[in-house]
Amino acid sequence: MNSSPTSSVVRPPAKHLWFRCILAALLLLPVVIAVEVVSCFHLSSDAKALRNSLIKSSGVEWRQRIALNAGGLALSAVRAGLSFVHLDAGARAALQSVRGAEVGVYRLPSGAKPPDRAALLIAADAAMTARGWDRVVGVMDGSDLVGVYLPKKMTSARRIICCLMVFNGQEMVVVSARANLEPLLQYALAQPVISTKVRSLVRR
Amino acid sequence: MKNLISHSLAIAVLAAGVSLNVLADPPSGQVDFGKLAMPGNGGEFVEIQVNSNLLSLAAKLVEKQQPDAAKLLRGVQLVRVNVVGLTDENRDELTNHVRQIRHDLAAQGWERNVNVQQKDGEDVGVYTKTRGGEALAGLVITVIEPKDEVVLVNIVGDIKPEQVAALGEGLDIKPLEKIGEALKK
Repeated sequence: MNSSPTSSVVRPPAKHLWFRCILAALLLLPVVIAVEVVSCFHLSSDAKALRNSLIKSSGVEWRQRIALNAGGLALSAVRAGLSFVHLDAGARAALQSVRGAEVGVYRLPSGAKPPDRAALLIAADAAMTARGWDRVVGVMDGSDLVGVYLPKKMTSARRIICCLMVFNGQEMVVVSARANLEPLLQYALAQPVISTKVRSLVRR
Repeated sequence: MKNLISHSLAIAVLAAGVSLNVLADPPSGQVDFGKLAMPGNGGEFVEIQVNSNLLSLAAKLVEKQQPDAAKLLRGVQLVRVNVVGLTDENRDELTNHVRQIRHDLAAQGWERNVNVQQKDGEDVGVYTKTRGGEALAGLVITVIEPKDEVVLVNIVGDIKPEQVAALGEGLDIKPLEKIGEALKK
């Protein structure tokens, strides 16, 4: 009656435990791959919110041309594959920095009047602000519109997320990227031109 | 009982700190430019806002390799740049708006350091606000180019007018770089 519960636990031999872990990993692998493949064609919730706000404010039915999402697993595989290939140091730093990227390209139906860019920007701002994002850059020039958003709270340069939208009057591109800026910055600061510029900035 | 009191006090202090933070006024060097009349279709509009969060992150990134640059970036809390193209629709409204901003700045004790009025009508005004008579609390640059655009810049933090071009270059903000170069002349 009073025997402790731990005394009744029968631990499987370590060999069996390893076998079970490997078996579980093998069973899970197709599921992980399937999820990764399916998610390759879907945007994340933030990028989707940005896209939906733009589509809704335009009042036009856009035609999707591309929607791609390269997650951490896919990019890790690319990094691993390219680790055996000779690459320029800048390209390697960029590759090491990117942790995930997604892009959606949408086109106005032929004959549709381009929507008001200011209205698009206001709608995108509202949607992103509600999700805890700040617009860092907004540009309207000619028929072009660009908006760059960053999360209000960013604590580490190792995990930067950025959302971007570009509209050129006919096509709209929504991009979301996750990156670790450290490798890229180390590369940039190692460049003599940039290093000199930074020093001159401080000396003034 | 003692523990309860000390815990309650700690919570009260923490709550007060949080509410003070929430209610805190914007920094004294920060200026609200108000609603800027957008140009009609095809006109230029640029808005860049780099806040303390991003600046401190940038400072963290360059800290090891460039400690002095990190120190400079930590001194800045906000960089805001607005460039609005002038069209027949918004010219009068915007130029009046910028003149009103200048008037308000002067009324609020901002010091006008640079005042350039060129023959082609270009009108540049640089205002600074000091904190305790030594460090700069903020910098405002207003440019009216009657034919092309108006430019408004607000840098909150300790930055001198002569560092503006370099900051623009460092943060890759072209309008800031351009204005900084104009201020040197």
